Amino acid sequence: MAEYRLDCLGEACPVPLLKTQKKIEGLKVGDVLIVEIDHSCAMKNVPEWARKVGYNVDIEEVEEGQWDVYIEKTK
Amino acid sequence: MTKLTEHPFFKKVIKDAWSYWTGAMLLAVLNVSLLVVSGKPWGITGAFANWGSWIYRLLGGHPENWTYYAPGSSNAKDLLEQSFLTNNLSVQDIGIIFGALLAVLLASQFKIKKIKSWKQVVAAILGGLLMGYGARLAFGCNIGALFSGIASMSLHGWVFAVFIFLGAIAGSKLLVKYFMT
Amino acid sequence: MDIKKKAPKKKRNQLPAGIVLLVLIIIAGILFSGVSPMLAIFWMFGIAFGFVLQKSRFCFTASMRDPALTGSTSLTRAVIVAFAVATVGFGAVQFSAHLKGVPIPGNIFPVGIHTALGAFMFGIGMVISGGCASGTLMRVGEGFIQQWISIVFFVIGSVWAAKDFGWWTDNVISKFSISDGVLKNAVYLPNVFGWAGAFFGQLVVLGILFIIAEWFEYRKLNLTQEVSENKSIGARQGGI
Repeated sequence: MAEYRLDCLGEACPVPLLKTQKKIEGLKVGDVLIVEIDHSCAMKNVPEWARKVGYNVDIEEVEEGQWDVYIEKTK
Repeated sequence: MTKLTEHPFFKKVIKDAWSYWTGAMLLAVLNVSLLVVSGKPWGITGAFANWGSWIYRLLGGHPENWTYYAPGSSNAKDLLEQSFLTNNLSVQDIGIIFGALLAVLLASQFKIKKIKSWKQVVAAILGGLLMGYGARLAFGCNIGALFSGIASMSLHGWVFAVFIFLGAIAGSKLLVKYFMT
Repeated sequence: MDIKKKAPKKKRNQLPAGIVLLVLIIIAGILFSGVSPMLAIFWMFGIAFGFVLQKSRFCFTASMRDPALTGSTSLTRAVIVAFAVATVGFGAVQFSAHLKGVPIPGNIFPVGIHTALGAFMFGIGMVISGGCASGTLMRVGEGFIQQWISIVFFVIGSVWAAKDFGWWTDNVISKFSISDGVLKNAVYLPNVFGWAGAFFGQLVVLGILFIIAEWFEYRKLNLTQEVSENKSIGARQGGI
């Protein structure tokens, strides 16, 4: 069960989601991707997409206006 | 202070993000209310032309000679008699900026997002110019033409909808090809 | 998920700054009302719009862009809902004006090639710059420097078009616009379909678009799931 970090700080919407979708494709089931986001729209649309597809998602606000989105590739 | 920020009401209304549907309903209700109270629906970009023209006048230009500001038109009245802090739409647009700032500060989520790549600068310049020019041609933006135009049952709103959608598809292709960071 | 999370940095509380800003906003409102009550009303509406947009992360740009780019239509559907609710409200206001015999309020503007061209340009611009008109203003307030740049050129583009507007009026708008028989170069749908036809017809069209958006996302996500499931199986069996 590997852990990967994806730095999306400073990216404009929709780049964080696009990068997340691409990165997750290459991971194995059970891996966890941690996406670093500071875009208010992305902290909503990245978890929303991941949950719709069926992954486990957790969000942690690490700083003012900055979040870590934990996505576990469950299938 | 910690007790307040832990309170469920504070968390739900001030701290957490609201659902898209909540936003949709509130924006629609606000738009209708603005129509009732002011006689005009919500719009944004009308003020941008004035902002530019007021600055252009300060720099010695004469926008009052343009057709857009033809004598007797409401545009001319705004241009010649008002300014940034005395024009209704201008003040509303400034209000939108501060309303958003208020929301992030109360939630302790304010952060300056710096430029990551020169591609973002080029995209901002090109995108801003296209939006500014396009909105004048179409008599409005995503709010004045799309949102308020459709709500007003005007065909221009629907035509705008079709073509802004096509433009967004074209823009997406350009974004991925040239502006991905 | 039992993951060791990064220890969060000490977070600064911005609530006091927010309260100070709220007080300043109210004071500004009082000052504006001294110029005219309507000015203060527009100020408060602006504050309300900005607040709601930010809190709900409402993005018209994403509503148009995401179906093609990420497969999501949640904002698309929310925007359709906003249109439907506003249609009902506007319809009531307009019909009441019609009954009273006063001019009908609303944004009813010339429609023609210029509309298509302007909207297309706007669509491209909003996606590449990362925000439409409302989105750009919202993000200026949120601290996105890219939008600080975007708004400057948004204004330049606007005044440039204002300067050219005479040309467009003479050569395009007056020549290639559509009329509904009542208005010179605009089309007010009730003039074409009658009040009931236009009002209910519009709500039906919005309903159909909503269902299409719902179906579109369902198809897109099921397809992506199959692709990613096959890739996972492939990865587990030895290759990545």
